Amino acid sequence: MLRLIKDIDIKFMAIRRIPMFLSSILVVICLASILLKGFNFGIDFSSGYIVQLKFDKQISIVNIENKFSESNIEDITVQLYGSSKDVLIKLKDEEIFKKNNINNFLNDIFSDESFTISKLEYVGAQVGSELREKGEWAMLIALFSILIYVAIRFELIYGLGAITALIHDVIITLGVFSLFELTFDLSVLAAILAVIGYSLNDSIVVFDRIRENNIILRKLSILDVLDKSINQTLSRTLVTSLTTLLVIISLLIFGGDAVKNFSIAMFIGIIVGTYSSIFVASTSLSYFGIQRPEDS
Amino acid sequence: MPRYPLWKYILVLLVMIYAVIYTLPNFYETYPSINVSNYENRNISESELTKLTEDKSISYKGLDGKSIFFESIDDQLSAYNKLSSDQKFKYTLSNYNQIPKWLHAINAQPVSLGLDLKGGVHFLLQIDTENVRKSRANQLETNLRNFLIDNGIRYSNVINDNNEVKFVLINKNINANTLDALSDTFSDYDVSLLEEGEQKNIVARLSEESFADDVKASMTKNLAILRSRVDELGVSQPIIQRQGKDRIIVQLPGLQDSTRAKNILGSTATLEFRLTKGSQDDWTASETIGTNTISESILYRHKNGSPILLSRNVIASGKDIEGANSGFDSQTNQPAVFVNLSSFGASKMLETTSRNIGNTMAVVFVEQDKSEIINVATIREAFSKRFQITGIDMQEAKDLAILLRSGSLSAPMSIIEERTVGPSLGSENIISGRDSMILGMILVILFMFIYYKNFGLVANLALIANILIITATLSLFQATLTLSGIAGIVLTVGMAVDANVLIYERIREELFNGNSPNASIVSGYNKAFSTISDANITTLIAAIALLTIGTGVVKGFAVTLVIGILSSMFTAIIGTRAIISIIYENKTNKGLSI
Repeated sequence: MLRLIKDIDIKFMAIRRIPMFLSSILVVICLASILLKGFNFGIDFSSGYIVQLKFDKQISIVNIENKFSESNIEDITVQLYGSSKDVLIKLKDEEIFKKNNINNFLNDIFSDESFTISKLEYVGAQVGSELREKGEWAMLIALFSILIYVAIRFELIYGLGAITALIHDVIITLGVFSLFELTFDLSVLAAILAVIGYSLNDSIVVFDRIRENNIILRKLSILDVLDKSINQTLSRTLVTSLTTLLVIISLLIFGGDAVKNFSIAMFIGIIVGTYSSIFVASTSLSYFGIQRPEDS
Repeated sequence: MPRYPLWKYILVLLVMIYAVIYTLPNFYETYPSINVSNYENRNISESELTKLTEDKSISYKGLDGKSIFFESIDDQLSAYNKLSSDQKFKYTLSNYNQIPKWLHAINAQPVSLGLDLKGGVHFLLQIDTENVRKSRANQLETNLRNFLIDNGIRYSNVINDNNEVKFVLINKNINANTLDALSDTFSDYDVSLLEEGEQKNIVARLSEESFADDVKASMTKNLAILRSRVDELGVSQPIIQRQGKDRIIVQLPGLQDSTRAKNILGSTATLEFRLTKGSQDDWTASETIGTNTISESILYRHKNGSPILLSRNVIASGKDIEGANSGFDSQTNQPAVFVNLSSFGASKMLETTSRNIGNTMAVVFVEQDKSEIINVATIREAFSKRFQITGIDMQEAKDLAILLRSGSLSAPMSIIEERTVGPSLGSENIISGRDSMILGMILVILFMFIYYKNFGLVANLALIANILIITATLSLFQATLTLSGIAGIVLTVGMAVDANVLIYERIREELFNGNSPNASIVSGYNKAFSTISDANITTLIAAIALLTIGTGVVKGFAVTLVIGILSSMFTAIIGTRAIISIIYENKTNKGLSI
């Protein structure tokens, strides 16, 4: 029998101050970055254009920037995309596009080149802020409905423990995106919501074991029950994280640019989620003052 | 070990038959195609189709019924360009696959791909509600003005801020009968006589309720107009639907380039016919001085930039046009739009032209706040209903004919969101999605086999069954699969094994505790059950919260995640159990390959 974890008995509760300290520092750093630095929002949330063009001949970035600045459009980013014939251009919602739409505009400024539009995305300011608002609501509704389900199925204190771990995961994943200025778009939001589901799944497995052990291991103290439950579920937690990470890695490698941001967010989220279901979810139960059922 | 109930075996078997059958259509290759039809919707014959392809020297892969199908999208588009100059038939870009009839009969179709995978254009348009308000206020002002004049009530000033129209009166006394008539005539509005000190004003206000009705009516009209415009773009299965109070979604699958669609859909362009005033000298003089040298005239510009004075009076405009077609002038062979006026427009045109033979008339192209003259021509003889407009290129003539035919939007619509993916990028997305899924599956399958041996193999069967069930369900419900949906499936692949991992770890524990192999299997499955359902239901809740956001990327992901969670619960709890039972039931096992 091949085993990742062999008969171990880690005293998680004895060392619970260490992960709590580490997590607190991480959460503070991430929160500070989110509040002070903010996000590098993609056009989904900040509005503007992303245009991917495929030229017949090689073209230089400077050349493209010049064409735009001739029309007094300076606030653009141009990057080559895969080959020297493909370019990705990001630009703001300029006043000029109200009169002459961007397709006609591109045809005008590149009239002496031959190109096709591979991709064009535009999000207006109003839609951008609506998407952001909807995203925040979805996150809150998800967290709240989970709290209610867990509180009904277990006890309120487990719901609080699960939510603590989730908020921890969301803040750190968001924080990494803020700190490293990774593009935050709708697909990242989808990933974060998926991470919520995933990390929750992990915490519930441990909680389920705690509930079971509370009934069958009557002689143990509550802290020992928490320890034992985490240890018993540890190999499952690691195996599942590993298989999920394997597919996320293959998405990162082969999924292409369209799912890159999604994959990065999932990758961070799953690692943080695994850590939190081992070190944060159950530990927070002890801080919330969980008791043996017969004691209460 | 107790016997595993027969009905569960049968259930597993039925689900797998369903999954295999409804996944089948996805294995038939799909080709880009063009559907050809007559304008009378009569089916086109095989020989007509063959002749058409020979006439236009089109290279294709095959013909079937009314479709010509092609090896590549490039072939399809070049054929479409060749064909669309021919107006004998109607052409739509589509996809073709050779699915057997029996699959069609049970409604088994390939998964419907999102625009990011098959290429196409997505627009979200919003109606300009301020414009609706403004035109309603202007209409109110005109009606009220006429009423006051008819009743001999004199006013000194009109203030119209689009919410409220105020007439400042000169008469000090208005009799009660007139006031009654006023509120009867304008019952849709909130009309009152206000006294500000000595001053008396009539104030009319548009109620929010009737404004909302106006917006609704404008939306209904615009929706119909957009439908008829989209019909002209030659796209198969376009989606045009209302979203919320003031928005319309337009999706045009397979469209290579959004340029033309954009120029046509949101366009408020219309035409006006006006007589010219004065001579070339007057026109240049008016431009240099800055004021018009001739009364009752407005300064316009020709497309080439030169100034021209036109009469204030419009002879006829877009709303008087009943039909329009593009083609070529029979004498000069220039591109032209042939216009049919309504009887009202025709009589005005006849009256004006018969009195102005030898004078010149201009055709003005009007689009929101931009107007330019596209043609100035001498009136050689009186005409009324039918005439032609030249001075534009072929593409402009085609687009203008479409716009005139469909009628003009009742309020301007602007594009507030666009997502266009070219077909070649779409197929790249399919390939990268598929490759990442295959690699992910291979990695997980290898790991599971190495880690759990035979039990791992069973979990791997469940994994493959999961992919089939998800694909079949997406196909059956024709839920749209997007790139983010593929990401959802890939994630499900990782998580699908989780339920099995939970069970196997439990079985291992039971074995360590010294239980017999068969007893360990039974209690492993039993004990893991509540954990699996709790864990999955909570994830399901998160996935349903995702669905409520309802936007493309997130929704696509959530749909596959929800299907994936349900199918992985089924395969792990009932499916793998059935296989394990077949292997280990009715035997005394010394050990388990786990």
